Amino acid sequence: MKELAGYLPCIGEEEVETKILTFQKNGKSIEVEVPLLTTEQMNKVIETVKKASTDILKSFSTSEIVTIIDRAIERLLDRNSLYRQKAEELLPIVTGYDEEIIRLGLTAYLKTFRKHELQRFLVEDLGNPVLLDDFQPRVKGGFSKAIGPTLITHIWSGNVPALPLWSLISGLLVKAGNIGKAPSSEPLFSSWFAHLLVEVEPRLADCFAIVWWKGGDEEREASIFEQSDVVVGYGGNASLQSLQNRMPVTTRFLPFGHKISFGVVSQSSLDSRKAWKSVHQAALDVIRYDQQGCYSPHIFYVQHGGNVSPREFARLMANELENFQRRFPRRDLSIEESVSLSSWRQKEEMTILAHPQNEILGNETNDWTVVYEEHNIHFAPSSLNRVIKVISFENIEDILSSISPHRSYLQTVGIAADPKELFEWADSLGKIGVTRITALGSMTSPEAGWHHDGRFNLLDLVNIVDIESSAKESSEQFAPYVD
Amino acid sequence: MGNFKGKVVLVTGASRGIGASIALAFAAEGASVVVNYVKNREAAEKIAETCIEVGGDGFPIQADVTSESDVNEMVNQVILEMGKIDVVVNNAFKPYVFNPDERKLAWELKWEDYQEQIDGAVRSAHYMCQAVFPMMKKQSHGSIVNVISNLVERPIVPYHEYNTAKTALMGYSRNLAAELGPFGIRVNCVAPGLVYPTSASKHTKEEMKELIIAQTPLRRIALPEDIAGPVLFLASDWSKFMTGQTLYVDGGFVM
Repeated sequence: MKELAGYLPCIGEEEVETKILTFQKNGKSIEVEVPLLTTEQMNKVIETVKKASTDILKSFSTSEIVTIIDRAIERLLDRNSLYRQKAEELLPIVTGYDEEIIRLGLTAYLKTFRKHELQRFLVEDLGNPVLLDDFQPRVKGGFSKAIGPTLITHIWSGNVPALPLWSLISGLLVKAGNIGKAPSSEPLFSSWFAHLLVEVEPRLADCFAIVWWKGGDEEREASIFEQSDVVVGYGGNASLQSLQNRMPVTTRFLPFGHKISFGVVSQSSLDSRKAWKSVHQAALDVIRYDQQGCYSPHIFYVQHGGNVSPREFARLMANELENFQRRFPRRDLSIEESVSLSSWRQKEEMTILAHPQNEILGNETNDWTVVYEEHNIHFAPSSLNRVIKVISFENIEDILSSISPHRSYLQTVGIAADPKELFEWADSLGKIGVTRITALGSMTSPEAGWHHDGRFNLLDLVNIVDIESSAKESSEQFAPYVD
Repeated sequence: MGNFKGKVVLVTGASRGIGASIALAFAAEGASVVVNYVKNREAAEKIAETCIEVGGDGFPIQADVTSESDVNEMVNQVILEMGKIDVVVNNAFKPYVFNPDERKLAWELKWEDYQEQIDGAVRSAHYMCQAVFPMMKKQSHGSIVNVISNLVERPIVPYHEYNTAKTALMGYSRNLAAELGPFGIRVNCVAPGLVYPTSASKHTKEEMKELIIAQTPLRRIALPEDIAGPVLFLASDWSKFMTGQTLYVDGGFVM
């Protein structure tokens, strides 16, 4: 099977070199051809996208752009549409994830980009979405308009399929030209989305490009960054650091680096009736995309005092993970991942000797692992791929001190607690660096308009142009209608 | 392994889903399996090949089980080539889409809707049983396993025509059991809960699955291969003193 990835605007009759990326799963294989541009071609793409961003995209109203995105998303939500069928067929091979996980994940994810969600997204960041279309009166006096950049470059990572949509759609909403570097591990979805947008609105044909180059191509990256207003980067902290080192001071760099998320389960959610539901929801957060997302849990801190104890929570979690293994099997691990998993497990088994009250639960094929720990509150990343720690605690204060040193890595916390605890705990967790509190079972599905890593998705992209009240008042004296 | 070595097992509707899993499980225990199918020849041939790979034998035979002549021809062919039939699993059924949102309401049903399902469940089982009785009586042994549904006990979704037909098949099986016991022929039923994925359940919404899972002690829905174990048990000598029974294979949803 062969599939073309990437999307290029019209840069004339150019022969474009391609690179073939090969993916395999369950005896099926697919060759994905990604465009690999020369420096001259890349410069032409940049020039074309910038021009179209200024001449075309900025002539659309925000509501027109919302409608275009909505129509493209509607097609992707339609299971009979060509792109959706392609996604359901090819993404499991490319990413290795189970077909059902992909199908359900795509629907849950895509529906957050429908018209009403996009409107919420705009209002959340801008207050008044028309701010992107025209100067709007401000409470402080004067007028302001939000101007999107001419060119945003996105360096995407492919840990979760379709993830590039967040920043690409954000870029489109602020009417920026966009160049995306498709992730090597999942280069298809962003490319399909670009083609789909152009099918829905052909006038957008030159407003974006999806390309590929080998990460670390310093010369190429320096040239692109030089010509971009904003660079949005996803990936590990080391690669983001290296990007930042090459970023011109005049280019705004928005890095989304490595994050660790976790869950906190109150004893109030562990009564005889509700405990299983809490475990079930928590297990869903573990199995969705095998914890590869920044929002995926590494640890569940479970409070003593409920009818179901933290130890029983861990055992119920083990059974849920075994059940999910049958329903949504984990993807096959690479050799490196298997090695890392075994050494992680070995290390954990050693700690059992010193802490006999701990437990390691798993099946024979290591499809999942639950480690239960008591009297040893700590914070450490999981080796991922359905490996989760359950750590018991008495009071929220007990866990905060272990977590707070890791401030720069914290993101999502899945919480099952009563309303009073929710707000108190959210306050404490927010103070130590957590930026998103959500229900168990929703950790991997941020709501529309969320603040990724505590930041503004749209506001961070734009410049606000102010007409101060003095200018307005002064202009009045020059009006032709002055009496 | 090898619990069904030398046994001839006929599974209807065995090219996919639950039937395919049952066929493969028998083959893995050494059985010679007749993989009956009506349309999907390619899939049936593949299952038959896999039967050989897993240690048994597999023969795809086309027959529409709602046609008496098709059934007689198939059974004759099996007896001609293999000399006997030890086990029959009546698994085939009239295609039915399990979609709780789109199902027909009680007052929308025509008698033909019921008739279609009763034909698919009871008439087909009747033809199969009638065709194998002479041989099984002559052998003085035989096990017939009819696949019904746990909806006969608890219609969590009232798929009227389907549930009624499957309930009829349970009654039919009990009466056969009473009559055929003296000949050494046993007749039992296996009643799966929602099985996913199969082509019949592919439209079942996640909400429905979650609802069932939450009420299922073993906290998941059945996979096609979950059904095979109890079918093999009822077909084997381990259940030699059981007849007229229904085993619910639904993680404890019905008890």
